[in-house]
Amino acid sequence: MTPENLLHHPFPSQKCTLGCPILDRCLSGGVPCNSITEIVAESGSGKTQLCLQLSLCAQLPVSLGGLSASALYFHTEFSFPFRRLNQLSHCFQSLYPQVFISDAVNSSKNGNCNPCDNIYVQSVHSADQLLDMMPKIESFLANSKTHFPVRLIVIDSVAALFRSEFGNTTSDLWRRSSLFFKISGKLKVLAKRYNLAVVVTNQVVDFVGSGEGVNGVRIGNLGSLCSSGRRVCPALGLAWASCVNSRLFLARDENGLVDGDESSFPYWQTTRRLHIIFAPHLPYSSCELVIRREGVFGIDR
Amino acid sequence: MEVCSLPLSATQRGKLISAGYTSLSSLSSASASDLARDLKISDGEALEILHVASRSSRSDNAEGSHAIINGAQNAWDMLHEESSLTRITTSSADLDNILGGGISCKEVTEIGGVPGIGKTQLGIQLAVNVQIPPHCGGLGGRAIYIDTEGSFMVERALQVAEACIEDMSEYSRFLRKDLQTFQVGLQSKDILENIYYFRVCSYTEQIALVNYLDKFITEHRDVKIVIIDSITFHFRQDFDDLALRTRVLSGMALKLMKVAKNFSLAVVLLNQVTTKHTEGSFQLGLALGDSWSHSCTNRVILYWNGNERCAYIDKSPSLRSASAPYSVTSRGIRNSTSNYKRVKMM
Repeated sequence: MTPENLLHHPFPSQKCTLGCPILDRCLSGGVPCNSITEIVAESGSGKTQLCLQLSLCAQLPVSLGGLSASALYFHTEFSFPFRRLNQLSHCFQSLYPQVFISDAVNSSKNGNCNPCDNIYVQSVHSADQLLDMMPKIESFLANSKTHFPVRLIVIDSVAALFRSEFGNTTSDLWRRSSLFFKISGKLKVLAKRYNLAVVVTNQVVDFVGSGEGVNGVRIGNLGSLCSSGRRVCPALGLAWASCVNSRLFLARDENGLVDGDESSFPYWQTTRRLHIIFAPHLPYSSCELVIRREGVFGIDR
Repeated sequence: MEVCSLPLSATQRGKLISAGYTSLSSLSSASASDLARDLKISDGEALEILHVASRSSRSDNAEGSHAIINGAQNAWDMLHEESSLTRITTSSADLDNILGGGISCKEVTEIGGVPGIGKTQLGIQLAVNVQIPPHCGGLGGRAIYIDTEGSFMVERALQVAEACIEDMSEYSRFLRKDLQTFQVGLQSKDILENIYYFRVCSYTEQIALVNYLDKFITEHRDVKIVIIDSITFHFRQDFDDLALRTRVLSGMALKLMKVAKNFSLAVVLLNQVTTKHTEGSFQLGLALGDSWSHSCTNRVILYWNGNERCAYIDKSPSLRSASAPYSVTSRGIRNSTSNYKRVKMM
């Protein structure tokens, strides 16, 4: 490639909707293409829910904020939540009947009407395996004969790949951070070449001690992150934080038992909030959200 | 003046001419080692020839204004030149103050900080501000933005550009003291068109691009700032041989310095931070190691102070170390008006 080829005027980056206008407004249109977006949260906060919903929404036509594209979903933690995806996809089909009815007419020919058919799932168990898979991913992106081109890659979660295998010695940490840069470098190349939106999820670690952040390093808009009443910070440290373009945080707080109305039992009420920790195109903002049977939705208050 | 007229031995003269050094000006650009190699003579002899050549050319130009070694400049001229150089404002008066008026041309400035502190925002702001026309106190130049991380967002650049145009028309209205809407003659579209954007996906591309900058800027003389966001990213992967990395990096730094000097433009390098593990404790520092810190003329570190963003001059030959708060607003980098926004949001 000659440097002349690199020269071009920047194009506005395309966004992939999250499937909810309130959440989209918070992120000014959704998850940007050609960029790595990280979602940080403790377990049970809705990372996976958001990712599943995103991989469904990517299939929406551009007029509805999607990418009319299929998704590549890497899961690392436990078995892939097929049942939940199926449930979401049924709700999704009934939410956007105009898309899927017209699609069903077309698909009567090629037998493809289930949105789940456009999500490719692969399990990954170690960071080295992910790195080895990169050439394969690229050839899949380049030569896929899929209904839609792949425009979204989800890695859920990236933390699980790194948290088991590496110790706390200097040499292990060095090896770990060089893997961070290799993997994120490769992902960014793919994101650029195929105009992909890349979404990775990350876990949190409890934050012990006083002051701001680990070793007094504060990253992003919030001085401290709180979830379930504990102070937490994103796993994988500073080096990984330098590898992602935007970082979102899902906070979750139990409000205790709430009495339901006559017909239902008391239930645990949880408030969840999406915070923008840093992003090149967004100021700090936050938005409350709920997880329902139909998916993840923002609440306007 | 011809080589034949030099007071040299016939063999030396013969060697010079057969190697293609026929005129004195061709000798003026040659170094002793080049000459020794081309003429297959010893370094000492080559040096002798250059001495003779320079002596005779000096006697040739009796007034002595033209030295055979081009590029030497006296400090007085440089001081004069420096005062005529305008600086590129950061749009935050406090930040400009500690920088001595803004990012200076002809120098390499490194800006580092943790993720989310506003490095990219500052980069975008500078790419826009370099285009402020001279009648509004700017340079009216263009920008080269080299993006290695994929963090440059056009929508953000557009926001910053629009805010900058509003500020400029405000300024010129104030200057002219007439209330007619004054056209700055610059639209946000023009501003975006004047940012040459390069997306670089590997360190080889990055080095190639830095080598190509010289040629590109020769063709686009109005480029007044080169921003690399970030210099670090590709050099933190794929380098197991750190000595090699140091060599490659310092080579690139030299090229950038040369570009900055030759075209009197500002080079701004954004850098990431890393933790250094020394004697059991972790310390924060800019990435790429100690030898890299010699590569920049100025070094600015961005950090959080409570809920406020601050900039600190870590290294500069002409500025004293100082720090100043700034803030990142929807309009771009601005002065910090202590906790007016963040507190409201909470």
